[in-house]
Amino acid sequence: MSEMWINMGPQHPMTHGLWNLRVRIDGEMIRDVDPEIGYLHRGIEKISEDRHYNEVITLMDRCCYVAGFAWEHLYILAAEQALHVTPPERAEYLRTMSDELQRIASHLMWYAAFVQDLGLMSPFLYGMRDRDLVLDLLQDYTGARMTYEYMRVGGVRSDLPAGFTDRARKVLDWLSDRFHEYDQLCLGSAIFRKRCDGLGVLRANDAVAHGVTGPMLRSAGLKRDLRKDRPYAAYDRLEFDVALADGADVTARYLVRMEELRQSVRIVRQVLDWLDRHPGPSVADRLPRWLGAPYAPIGNEGYLLKRSYPKGIGFSSVEEPHGEAQAYVVNDGGEHPYRVKFRSPVFANISAARQYLVGYHVADIPPIMGSVDVCVGEVDR
Amino acid sequence: MANEGHATTKPDENPILWVTRPMATAARQFTKSLWRPSTIVYPYERLEDPGFRSKVGVASGVPIGVGPIWDNYRGVHALNIATCISCNLCAFSCPDLCIEMVTVPGGDPKHPKKCPEIDYGKCSYCGFCSDACPEGCLTMTTRYELSTPKRSEMVYSPEKLQQVFQHKLPMNPIRIELPKNEDSILLDPPLCIGCNACARDCPTQCITMLDIPKPDPRPGEKTPRRIWKEPVVNDSDCVRCGTCISVCPKECLFWGAPK
Repeated sequence: MSEMWINMGPQHPMTHGLWNLRVRIDGEMIRDVDPEIGYLHRGIEKISEDRHYNEVITLMDRCCYVAGFAWEHLYILAAEQALHVTPPERAEYLRTMSDELQRIASHLMWYAAFVQDLGLMSPFLYGMRDRDLVLDLLQDYTGARMTYEYMRVGGVRSDLPAGFTDRARKVLDWLSDRFHEYDQLCLGSAIFRKRCDGLGVLRANDAVAHGVTGPMLRSAGLKRDLRKDRPYAAYDRLEFDVALADGADVTARYLVRMEELRQSVRIVRQVLDWLDRHPGPSVADRLPRWLGAPYAPIGNEGYLLKRSYPKGIGFSSVEEPHGEAQAYVVNDGGEHPYRVKFRSPVFANISAARQYLVGYHVADIPPIMGSVDVCVGEVDR
Repeated sequence: MANEGHATTKPDENPILWVTRPMATAARQFTKSLWRPSTIVYPYERLEDPGFRSKVGVASGVPIGVGPIWDNYRGVHALNIATCISCNLCAFSCPDLCIEMVTVPGGDPKHPKKCPEIDYGKCSYCGFCSDACPEGCLTMTTRYELSTPKRSEMVYSPEKLQQVFQHKLPMNPIRIELPKNEDSILLDPPLCIGCNACARDCPTQCITMLDIPKPDPRPGEKTPRRIWKEPVVNDSDCVRCGTCISVCPKECLFWGAPK
């Protein structure tokens, strides 16, 4: 009876969101862990089968509440493939910019939550303050701070408002000055380094075996980034580097995310320059009837549209702030998708918890799980 | 635990620096925040206040300029009943099914005028309804304070939405960009019985029933057709609401690319 199971969650300061980490401990040592999820399941995949193609976007924003744009983009890429629609080039750049601004906001959110897990309150406030500026930018051209509903099948909802690019550049200048302050507060702090160095080691071969992707995989030294390996949207026309570290521990994940923040700022700057130089339409010339389909006679739902639109299957994968997300959309010719399926990166990342938690102390769980960047909204969907 | 292969290992410095340096950074931020606070005293200061907008530039210490960031906000809807054509498009396009078309005075008894009634208990402020509105009479304003002790007060009748319109709040200037070529209403001629239902219910009166020549009766046809008319849609007036498709008893109208 020297060992016992304890529940960390679903209401626990360590869990950012509703999930439960069951831990078998022997005194201070972790012997086994068992992540339990499902507290936030909303059935988004099933609800999507009852929504028009554009209405699914409202669900995507709620899928991952800190990286809504990444999931909108993921779904839109698959839906466009299924509906045989090609977006104009300007829409691709606008989506890329949205993705990268969202990555900055998401990583800053992660930074704020992560340092708070370590007990550092001041960096938390700075992270949240700077994230708010990015949200201001997103609100500027979408009209909302978290649930954007900006991308559409075949383009985006509207073009940028006047003067947006200048405001965005000012925010980016401010942000790129802040990154070294974050490093001073964290990497330069003995408290931070003593709590993070060498913790939660997940080597590259274990990470690949568990399907772990994103910053966790790159922190193990494996150069895998879908933006480079399988470019979507405008990423093949932009210059950036893949953030890498080789420590495979909590500090390495911190370094990877900080480098990704800098690279995202670099990408957004290039996109803003491109957008200034190339005005044009931001929605495709010809689209299926997509603003909302008419009522169909009861019992014949979808019949009217099946007559004139082709069938198709769409698959897409994007580099979300947390890792590789994938979507699969089946269009059987009706007004709703026949099937929508998503692959969440965080699901795989926390499934491997046994690999990087066993053998450490109980007090190491908050920094290690904080470095995973758990977003329960997309795990449970 | 060994820390193998780290890019940044501990430099040979005075360990005191490892504590004082983060503290110095935090102290610098603290002194800055004394005259440039990052917070807003919300009920007394609001982001959308004209007086506060001039201060937005210095909130968070960032000189991002006084942008119209608040004008685009998607809040409570405003409805102009006078220009509403009862096309149902807002109700069609609502993902939450929170819009119900209710009768308002002003229509003729045969075709009552119907305007949207919005249940804000369900609304997700996605803006699909104002995007879909062909006349621009349903727009979103910047109003966001909706709390009320009664659920029934969350349901905004068309008259209440009209009051929001009359307050002349800043309207959301974002207008959705529409594709140049949209699908049209197409007809499957052999199925049409010429019943006039589509032309009768069209909110913009863009459907006319034209006479067609009476062909020879087809073999095996049990109920011979009696009205030899077919609808013709005027594409330039059509708002693509689909009312004609939903009222067609024979399902002979459908969306498609015009020939």
